[in-house]
Amino acid sequence: MNWLKRYRYAGAAFFLSSLLSACTAAPISPANMPSMLEPQGPAAARLAELWWLMFGLGALIFLLVVALMFAALSRGRRAGADSAADSRGGDEGRKWVIRGGILLPMIVIAVTFGYSIYTLAVVENAPGDPAVHINVTGRRWWWEVNYPVEGITTANEIHIPVGKPVQINLESADVIHSFWVPELHGKMDLVPTRLNSIIIQADQPGVYRGQCAEFCGLQHAHMGFLVIAESNEAYEEWKSAQVQPAQSPADELAADGQDVFVSQGCVFCHTVRGLEDKPVDRSAIDLGPDLTHLASRQTIAGASLTANTGNLAGWVSDAQHVKPGALMPNTYINAQDLQALLAYLMSLR
Amino acid sequence: MVKESSYSDHIEQLLEQWRMRPGIVGRLSAVNHKDIGRRYIFSGFMFFLLAGIAALLMRIQLMYPENTFLNADQYNRLFTTHGMTMMFLFAVPIMLGVGIYFVPLMVGARDVAFPKLNAFGYYLYLFSGAILWISLFIGAGPDGGWFAYPPLTATRYTPSYGMDVYTALVNGTEVSSLIAATEIIITFFKLRAPGMAINRIPLFVWAMLVTSVMVIFAMPSVMVATTELMLDRGISTNFFNPNLGGNPLLWQHLFWFFGHPEVYIIFVPALGMVSEILATFSRRATVGYPLLVISLVAIGVFSFGLWVHHMFTTGLPNLSLSVFTVASMVISIPSGIQIFSALATLWHGKLNMKTPLFYVLGFIFTFVIGGITGVMVASVPFDSQVHDSYFVVAHLHYVLIGGAVFPLLGAMYYWFPKLSGRMMSERLGRWNFWLTIIGFNVAFFPMHISGLNGMPRRVYTYLPGMGWDTLNFISTVGALILAAGVFLFVLNVITSLRRGERAPDNPWGGGTLEWAASSPPQPYNFARLPVVSSRYPLWDAPSAAGAYTFAENTSRRETLGTSTLDADPEMRVYLPGSSITPFLTAAASLLLLISLMFNLYAVIASSILILVMLAVWHWPRGKDRSMEWIKSGPPEALPVSITVTGKKPPVYYGALLFVTIEAVEFLAFIASYFYLRSATNDWPPGDLEFPRLILPTLATLVMIISILPTYLGDQAIKKNNQRGLVINLILTVMLEITFLILMIYHMGSLSYRWEDNAYATLYWVLTLTHMIFAGIMVLENLYILIQSLLGFYNAERHWGVEVDGLSSYFVAVAWVAIYFTVFLSPYLIQ
Repeated sequence: MNWLKRYRYAGAAFFLSSLLSACTAAPISPANMPSMLEPQGPAAARLAELWWLMFGLGALIFLLVVALMFAALSRGRRAGADSAADSRGGDEGRKWVIRGGILLPMIVIAVTFGYSIYTLAVVENAPGDPAVHINVTGRRWWWEVNYPVEGITTANEIHIPVGKPVQINLESADVIHSFWVPELHGKMDLVPTRLNSIIIQADQPGVYRGQCAEFCGLQHAHMGFLVIAESNEAYEEWKSAQVQPAQSPADELAADGQDVFVSQGCVFCHTVRGLEDKPVDRSAIDLGPDLTHLASRQTIAGASLTANTGNLAGWVSDAQHVKPGALMPNTYINAQDLQALLAYLMSLR
Repeated sequence: MVKESSYSDHIEQLLEQWRMRPGIVGRLSAVNHKDIGRRYIFSGFMFFLLAGIAALLMRIQLMYPENTFLNADQYNRLFTTHGMTMMFLFAVPIMLGVGIYFVPLMVGARDVAFPKLNAFGYYLYLFSGAILWISLFIGAGPDGGWFAYPPLTATRYTPSYGMDVYTALVNGTEVSSLIAATEIIITFFKLRAPGMAINRIPLFVWAMLVTSVMVIFAMPSVMVATTELMLDRGISTNFFNPNLGGNPLLWQHLFWFFGHPEVYIIFVPALGMVSEILATFSRRATVGYPLLVISLVAIGVFSFGLWVHHMFTTGLPNLSLSVFTVASMVISIPSGIQIFSALATLWHGKLNMKTPLFYVLGFIFTFVIGGITGVMVASVPFDSQVHDSYFVVAHLHYVLIGGAVFPLLGAMYYWFPKLSGRMMSERLGRWNFWLTIIGFNVAFFPMHISGLNGMPRRVYTYLPGMGWDTLNFISTVGALILAAGVFLFVLNVITSLRRGERAPDNPWGGGTLEWAASSPPQPYNFARLPVVSSRYPLWDAPSAAGAYTFAENTSRRETLGTSTLDADPEMRVYLPGSSITPFLTAAASLLLLISLMFNLYAVIASSILILVMLAVWHWPRGKDRSMEWIKSGPPEALPVSITVTGKKPPVYYGALLFVTIEAVEFLAFIASYFYLRSATNDWPPGDLEFPRLILPTLATLVMIISILPTYLGDQAIKKNNQRGLVINLILTVMLEITFLILMIYHMGSLSYRWEDNAYATLYWVLTLTHMIFAGIMVLENLYILIQSLLGFYNAERHWGVEVDGLSSYFVAVAWVAIYFTVFLSPYLIQ
């Protein structure tokens, strides 16, 4: 009911509050514009071609119809409306209807359907076997990323070698999500009961933003991720760093932070490989992201915040403000413990 | 002179019979199609304004990135309510409401076929809509999207009452749509003016027929889906539970099998409006009548073959997806016919440039863009990019606002004189038109680009720097302009109602029959009925408007029943007068809808209340018991529908439609069974036993045998053998009760319950659903039995028995289908 009270102030108040809140929005954009019109991979390139073809055809038809409409208008207006209505000459214009209403759509359908099927075949049958297999699990509201061969688990960040087809296997742990990196490929849903997959490939090194495209609840809007395409060497380097367990805390502050991490119960949802002396059973809970190499990632909170100490402090202490409804609870600890915890987390490189 | 005075007596008697009774109770008792139709249109617009306000709030939220005007929860409830209201409470009901108002006028009838049922449908719709908006205002509005995909909408992920409101509301409104559709179909086939052969029916009436038939086949599917969701949420069944054999995609199939035709259910009436407006304001017949009728029918048929194009990204096999691509694209042919017929009509016409025609031009301009993007999203690979992005938001609003709302607004300007007796302001009309069309395009065109730029739908906010900021700002500005346009429309309606110029009967020089009635029409529409010999009777033979002298009994409401193809007079259809029962029955149904959200005992109690109300509704009173009164009329009068022989009365066709609706519902349940079954080779799953066959087979035999006494009772009463009817009805009831006892015993002996897994869910729900139907059938037969004992039926009055028999046959046939599905198929399909 509280929020309804705000609606009492119509008109100007709406604008004012919108304007004000716009000023407070901090720019956080860890990647380029995720546009399908600027494709960065072979699949997306084919899809963009298909778009431009259909756009051209569509524009022609639209111009034709609008031109005919104005021509008919100027002719029909000159005829003068005063004379008696004519109910007999029903079929003078039938040729038009058959040509424009049947033949024209058939031609358009033939072209678009043919090109669609061709595009589908090219996009689906990528040449060569995928070089890398990655399992991605959709969770409310983040992405678990798993490299089964290497045994790497990370979150919201998919590293791929540039120029190679990569197979992404898609599964959902809860509700339906949809995996979409517009610059690389179309989307594919993550449906409980199904194992879907999609093959992506990036032609240039770069960071490509992806986002969940199927409404999945409260924080659907903040369920982003990054695909980071890098040279083969950089990719190998990243992998070899990621397979390592977490390093022991290097300084005292971080060591204190590790104690806070354990004593505050963070470990119930978050794995830090190398920290646990005995395995924790997390099968009955909604998992949080694996934090083993948290500080190596570019973003936190479903790619909605740049990963730095300040943002991390805000996220840890007041997650419900940053991302209301997220399954990460607010953490109530004193400033000293928070400093230590942050030092520990930022040491997880 | 004598003739004149008898004519004015006649008018006076008609008015006395047909007028609305005074006072609040009188208003709530009104059953006239014009009162009900006007209320549908008014309520529809109210919901349109509410949903529009919801849209504006969302647009303000999206004006800037990371805006905090709304939070995620508010935004999700608003977009869900916006979608539900626009689809379930505005678009479909208002189109059907315009049909309820204008179809009888345009075919020269006095009312729809079943006026009391019609009133019930309206109140049910109004109450369902009220539930939704009240729940939103008390903070319990649905928040899972109008498409309500499980598992998100399962109790585990959405524990609040919102989705329970959703399931109740959808069932309420869909029942009301089914009722309105039934009215229109029967009115179309049986109540047309003499001479209005099937090839002379106005295009709008054709469009309403196609829409209504689509409603009959589409709505049951979503009702079954929401019932399954309700059961999943309420009693832990497993239709959509992925962990126990259910499948979330089952929901998507059932929902879109309804959801896609739904779009055309909204669009087809608009095409009819466009055809009517074009003819009147081009001063000529619409070009290509046969092609237009065929294309309307084709749209109706094709629209059921493309639901999967909402599921292109779910990972289904490409071959089947490609089939649906073709089906989706082919529908552009009938749409193309409509557009080019409009262009040809304009080209060959003598144009009278008035606001309704402007809206038709706006329709052509806007709808063509929506149609083109529609062909685009039908392409599987392209759709994989734009699906669930703002591109689709743009597309669907171009189709629905451009394709349906603009024609509707045009139709309101066109028909306002016939609705209110006054003209709308032409000057405000132009402002209204230009603001809406400019505002609309400014709001929605940029969404194509934000979608291509990667902006997903249904996000309550977005990060800055994605290339979406400016586009969203422009969209919001456009939405505000559009809102100003809609505001001018409301202003125009209000001022015109109070001070508008008085309208003559035919202000635009239209050619169809509604313009033969006065503005606004008398409660009985036409004192003398029109005779029709062409498609535009008022253009060709204006004098024929009152040519048919209907020999009727003016001490009650009657309208003329005619033959299906040629509209030859067949019978007098006896229509009920004002009654409060429909309102009270709808109130009882409201209790049921609310109980469904909370408590099983309340559900049972309110169901009993509804059954009692139905018995009260149908209980014959006073003069209706007298055969003499029923048959009375002038000496040359046609037979009355209640005692007609050799031809079937409207109520028979109505019952056939009702059985069709039930059949589609059972098919949707059976389809659910085989869909979930096809996903596994382990059926029944695990070590669950196969269905035990002895009792169910016995029950099946009993059910099949029950057909025999039903048939014999029907034959007996036709020969005036009342005793034979009573005996056979008793036999039928006893057989049906035996069936129920056998099945109750069988179900009681099962070792598993519906919560256990999807197999058990299907076993229980399909069987119990049918048992509930059979139980209601027993009550229906008992009611007929009581009436028979009271001597109500005889050789002349036997249609009630026959209609009851239709339901009995259906219950038996449906059981055989359930028996095969639930009990035999596990053995047959391994």
